[in-house]
Amino acid sequence: MNYYERPTQLQEQANAEAMQHFAEHLKQFKANCDALQNIERNLTMTASDASRAALQSSGRIVQTDDGAQWQHAVDLTGITSICHRRTAAGFEFATVECLPLKSGEMKDVLNTGHDAREVLQAFVRDQRQVLKVWKDDVNAQVKELESETFWGRNQAEDLRFSLARRSAKATHSSTSFLSRL
Amino acid sequence: METIPKNEEPTATPPTERLAYSIQEAADMLGVNYFSVYRLIQRNKLKVCRALRGKLLVPRTELLKLLGTE
Repeated sequence: MNYYERPTQLQEQANAEAMQHFAEHLKQFKANCDALQNIERNLTMTASDASRAALQSSGRIVQTDDGAQWQHAVDLTGITSICHRRTAAGFEFATVECLPLKSGEMKDVLNTGHDAREVLQAFVRDQRQVLKVWKDDVNAQVKELESETFWGRNQAEDLRFSLARRSAKATHSSTSFLSRL
Repeated sequence: METIPKNEEPTATPPTERLAYSIQEAADMLGVNYFSVYRLIQRNKLKVCRALRGKLLVPRTELLKLLGTE
């Protein structure tokens, strides 16, 4: 569709159908964007909470799939949290994801670092990338749906449009020819 | 006169296993939210391929690998 043109009735219908079909995706996309913005907004506070937890050495033990042991500090989302541990080089922080797969829970370290704030920033950056992957995939799915549902009708509309334009042109040229007589 | 054999009811064939699944199907099979599937993709834990229009598809082998049933 040309952005300078008013959408046709068919294009509007296609858009409405796609919106309806992907309503759940859009809702979840917005919820995840909001959650991410919330983490970003409270980043300083979360980082200081994590640092405090590290200093107090508090939090339940979390063992990740790579065998490393961490202590839980703050929950970020339903399945991700920032954890800490003491190393020879000082405190280390990590964002850990506990994914409840059907085959068992997968506990993965997403980012690590010695500065809780930097670890959180890296986490936010990664989540933005995930949202981009999601957005691109949903765009592709919308295109697929539109082409499956509206391909034939688009062709028919294009044909009708070009025929109407040609006939209008022909009428115009014939009337101007007649007026010259 | 030849007798025409009566058409038998078509036997129900088991559904064929597909080579690849959509993100939503993959999420259902893994038992997680589909946003988690995109997370796994972004972290290269789950390799995907693209369909003609760029839609992501998860190969069956990748799903089985993650489910630990391969």
